[in-house]
Order: sequence, then C-alpha cells, then structure tokens
Amino acid sequence: MHVPDGVVPLYLQLILFVVSIAFIVTAVRRVNGRLDERTVPYIGVLAAVIFAAQFVNFPVPPSSGHLIGSTMVAVMLGPWAGMLVIALVLFIQALYGDGGMLTYGLNFFNMGAFSCLFGWLLALSLFKALKKRMDEKRAVLVATSLASYVTTVVAAFILGIELQTVPGFGVAGLLVITGIHAVIAVGEAVLTFVIMLYFVKARPQIISFLSGSEVAELAPAVDAPWARPAE
Amino acid sequence: MERDEFVRFVIPVVIVLIAILAVVILGNLVSSNPDGFEWALFEFAHVSEPTGGFEGIWAFLGEGPLVEVVAGALGVIIALMLGLLLFRAMARKER
Repeated sequence: MHVPDGVVPLYLQLILFVVSIAFIVTAVRRVNGRLDERTVPYIGVLAAVIFAAQFVNFPVPPSSGHLIGSTMVAVMLGPWAGMLVIALVLFIQALYGDGGMLTYGLNFFNMGAFSCLFGWLLALSLFKALKKRMDEKRAVLVATSLASYVTTVVAAFILGIELQTVPGFGVAGLLVITGIHAVIAVGEAVLTFVIMLYFVKARPQIISFLSGSEVAELAPAVDAPWARPAE
Repeated sequence: MERDEFVRFVIPVVIVLIAILAVVILGNLVSSNPDGFEWALFEFAHVSEPTGGFEGIWAFLGEGPLVEVVAGALGVIIALMLGLLLFRAMARKER
C-alpha cells in the first residue's frame, strides 16, 4: 500500500502532506511529556517489529501483502504515539525506496493517521464489548485482530478513492483494490494476532487497553470518558 | 527500563527479528508478486508504472537475497535506534 512518487497528482500529494504534518504535530503534542522513560525501549522494539513485518511480503495470488501494523500499535500505545511509530517506519521505508518521498504525506495519511485513529476506535469498541464475555487479554487479542482486518480494508478503500485522480483507475479499480485487500487483510489480522500474543504474554504492561498498563496515560488522549479503556 | 531489561528483552527481540528476516528471505518465502495496490493499479487498471524514481539508499549494493537480508537487518536496527531517540526526547525524565 506504499504509493510511489509519480502516480497521483502533485496537488493531492501536497494537500495530504500538509494534512499529515498537522496530524504529526498534534501527535507530538499529545505524547510529549506523557511517556514514562522506562517504556521507550519497548516502543523502539515495536518500531523495529513493524519495519521488519512491512519489509517482507506474503503471497496472496495474484498479488502479495504485508503488515501495516497501525491498529496493533495504536492499541498498544494509543493512537497518537502509534501514529508517530508508523510515521517513523514509513520514513525509513521511503528511504528504502518503498513509497515515495513526495507521497510520504499520502502514505502516512492512509496507513498512519487514518488507520491508527480508525483502528484504535474500532478495537476499543470491540474490546469493551468482548471484555464482558471473556478475560481482557483474550478480548484485546480478538478485538485488535478483527479491527486490523476491517481497518486494512477501509484504508484500501480510501486509497482507491484517492486513486480516482489517476486516469484509467476508475470505479472498477476501486472495487478491485478494496476486494483484494479483503483477502490481504486476513494476513494482517493473523500477523497482528501473533505479534500481539507475544506482547500480551511477554510485556502486557505496554498494551494500553490492559489493566496495569504503563502506557495507559497515552491512550485516553481523546480526553473523553468513553475513550478510557481501562475503566 | 533497567539496563538488564534492555539486554534481556530488546537485544534478543532484535536478534530474533533479523534471524526471521534472514530465514524468510534466504528461504525464498517472500512473495515477488506486486502488492495489492500495485496489482490493482498497474496490472488490473493498466496504469503505466512510473520509472526513474528514487530506488532507495541501498540501491548501489545491487539486488539479491543477501543484499535484502543486510538491508532488512540494518532497517530493523535503524528503526529501533530512531524510535529510541524520538521517544526518549518526548519522555518525561522522572517517574
């Protein structure tokens, strides 16, 4: 889903670049000073995990897919810190030639800003519903995996909308890119489940939804009572 | 985080990540098919693929599985280090 330079018109790249800068500035303001220094190395590890999982593609004939990781990192660290992790990973990916420099804003908007906020809200809603029926660790695993599936498909749909600016893509292209990501998103959900399972077992304190989380202060950044998952 | 925790958790995870990347790439388990976006745009809609763009900072090394493993390993380490730098700068210093 990393769009290279030279595909979408320059005006769209510039608009989404400005929008993305606004999201990144907001995210920095939301995270700054709310983070415990002891949790920083865990966040570095998360960035490394997401980079590695985006680096290799799994087969989905006739195409392929890779992890996006936005929902997972947003559930762990809250949407704003998650957004910054994705911004960092996408920057390195752009340096690696995967996704353009001019389209960085568009790629960040799709896989970072939108996907972190949408995925986090959806996962939070699912988590609250599931927590009544199962223990919170199972609930966070199931909620995050399901939300990552839906978020990947919706992010692909949004990319398809943006690609309407490309002559020849059209409504058929929109349907196809959304449809193929409905299959690719199964891989996203499975990888999300496996990686989350590791962190749930090994370091549950960096999952903002769980009781006793050391990063819970980052998660209710929307400052609304309904956005406090630990309550 | 204590230094012990860094040695006990962070370094092993990074080593395992690099090992998994090496096994997946050298074991030819990576798909060379275009990703979903590229397939929909370039294969299905037949939009011309842009050429002559920036190919990445490691393009001078050429192509091949070993180059991929080295680039991936360096990327994992760069992501870890930049993550540490960025978030340490935003962390509060006292508990």
